[in-house]
Amino acid sequence: MKLFNFKTKYDADNSGHFGIYGGRYAPEMLIPALEQLEREYVAIKKDPAFEKEFFYYLKTYVGRPSPLYFAQNLTKKLGGAKIYMKNEGLNHTGAHKINHCLGQALLAKRMKKKRLIAETGAGQHGVAAATVAARFGFDCTVYMGEEDIKRQRPNVFWMQRLGAKVIPVMEGSRTLKDAVNAALKDWITNVKDSHYLLGSTLGPHPFPSLNRDFQQIVGYEVRNQLQELEGKLPDMLIACVSGGSNALGLFYRFLEDESVRMIGVEAGGEGVSKKGRHASRFAGGTLGVVQGYKTIFLQDKEGNIAQTHSISAGLDYPGIGPQFAYLKDVGRVEFSSATDKEALRAFNLTVKCEGILPALESSHAIAEVIKQAPKLSKDTIIVVNISGRADKDIFIVAEALGDKEWDKFIKEKSK
Amino acid sequence: MKLMTHVVVGYPTIASTIQIVKAMEQAGADYVELQIPFSDPIADGPTIMKACDIALKNGITVRDCLKVMKTLSNKVSIPLFFMGYYNTVFHFGVDAFCKQAKAAGAYGLIIPDMPPDEEEHEHFIKACRTHHLAQIRVITPASSNERMKLNAQVADEFVYCVSHYGVTGSNADFKKSLKPYIARVKKYFNLPIALGFGISKPSHIRAIKDIVDIAIVGSAIIKIIDKYKNPKTRIREIKKFIQDILI
Ligand SMILES: Cc1ncc(COP(=O)(O)O)c(C=O)c1O
Repeated sequence: MKLFNFKTKYDADNSGHFGIYGGRYAPEMLIPALEQLEREYVAIKKDPAFEKEFFYYLKTYVGRPSPLYFAQNLTKKLGGAKIYMKNEGLNHTGAHKINHCLGQALLAKRMKKKRLIAETGAGQHGVAAATVAARFGFDCTVYMGEEDIKRQRPNVFWMQRLGAKVIPVMEGSRTLKDAVNAALKDWITNVKDSHYLLGSTLGPHPFPSLNRDFQQIVGYEVRNQLQELEGKLPDMLIACVSGGSNALGLFYRFLEDESVRMIGVEAGGEGVSKKGRHASRFAGGTLGVVQGYKTIFLQDKEGNIAQTHSISAGLDYPGIGPQFAYLKDVGRVEFSSATDKEALRAFNLTVKCEGILPALESSHAIAEVIKQAPKLSKDTIIVVNISGRADKDIFIVAEALGDKEWDKFIKEKSK
Repeated sequence: MKLMTHVVVGYPTIASTIQIVKAMEQAGADYVELQIPFSDPIADGPTIMKACDIALKNGITVRDCLKVMKTLSNKVSIPLFFMGYYNTVFHFGVDAFCKQAKAAGAYGLIIPDMPPDEEEHEHFIKACRTHHLAQIRVITPASSNERMKLNAQVADEFVYCVSHYGVTGSNADFKKSLKPYIARVKKYFNLPIALGFGISKPSHIRAIKDIVDIAIVGSAIIKIIDKYKNPKTRIREIKKFIQDILI
């Protein structure tokens, strides 16, 4: 086996704790389902046939391996480290989310579940969930905050075409966190025949480890691709972090290569000094237990979850995956943040220099590349995860850039 | 048949919470749960969720809840429980919360998202023991025999059985499956059986009264609070509801 037998010294203990983080703080109704999922998870880790099937669909359906692309123009422009882009945006459905959706769909099939429940922020996880539901014959319900539905309307359309029921979530801040709550409640109600296809490395055990293991394909490929292209390991890995699925996907296979620096980039929104206007958990977040797991959350002094903001719906979430909270504590992964404006600037630069349209989430990672690359020598290598492509962001980008012609087009179309 | 009713502290106001709980006792409630409002109550349906939201918007804090408990425990003689989510307790400090809850007169705690499996990390059950608070465990139809056994080891007073697959306030039909479920619970718990989630009318009580010892009513009373804005009418309607349901 190449993937699922991989382990690191930073993994969870048997009950899903990464140091003080993680765990399974779920209501009793969900614990049996989580136990069943854990049993299946342990079983597939030892099952070469499962891994073979996973690889088969990754290759023939998702289109893997995704390219590792040398961003020559951006490298020249920034004048420092060599920049490589791992382009997950070229996957089927346009983001890394399909990796764990495929894995969980195969798992749900093993568990004989008939229906998939998913939450989504940017809609990329929702689209990927709806896609595997269509392919493998599950009913599918996707919860999405009303605010995110407005921000990422194209993805709602595609989820519906794929046969998923998209349910707007009207509670709380009407974003990703509230969609997770709604999905958990659906699962509580329908746990007998439904699998909760959770969309990141967060939530109760085993989800953080399970999704990481499905996403590790990203770093697994990067390692081989870079070996072929450069004959060595990268010096620095950079990825945006909400729950952490794309970042852990890139980082995981390198965690024990101590020479590789890793930076996770959180959403700085309007600036991390503005309370409630960013989603940087490491800028003012505190330890808490919410949505079934213990980690650093943005919350008030009473333990109520705080408002968050980001231009990218996929990063607009108040908690960080528990393994990342741990990796930060032990000093293995560094964290920084990029503001909405920095992300937009990085987006524009990447589009113009490289002819690549990165999702707004991924643009946060590129913003950090722009800060790091000039400080590093020309023989160092940065790999940045382009976790998704920007198709879904057409309305936000058009608005943020003040595109008058697009605006006119939309108005005419709506007549 | 005994009855446990429920309020969200500070919904719609602190003064009304105090009046409502007093009325509940007068109308015949045997226990009351005082829910501490929380931003992300994952076991609650829309009715209680909205009540939490409004209470939080009104600025209700944990300290307010402790004060309400203190006031009420001096005014009523039935046992009062705090119901809430673990993050609230955790943030306050597990030991400090238990200590102050006891000092305020709470009889016990109902915290549905703190499973015994995490006790090793949290020392929550230990703090309840230290401060002599009853530890109410929640069991569901999905709970395996192993989960029943595990929860039974740490349960006090009564066992809180969720009636069906769902969140608070969702429709329940108290059908055939209830009997074997409760029989299974009785195998593991040597405690009175309380049943809740979706109990909202006298016919529900009739359907369960020979099977369980305590009925729990939550959302149905919040709906009365929502419906009647006039405080006097509201109290009258709540009392009437409780008296009707207990006949
Ligand atoms: C393209 C893209 N990148 C990144 C993320 C952030 O999630 P995670 O931290 O799990 O990778 C999302 C989430 O919606 C996304 O759609």
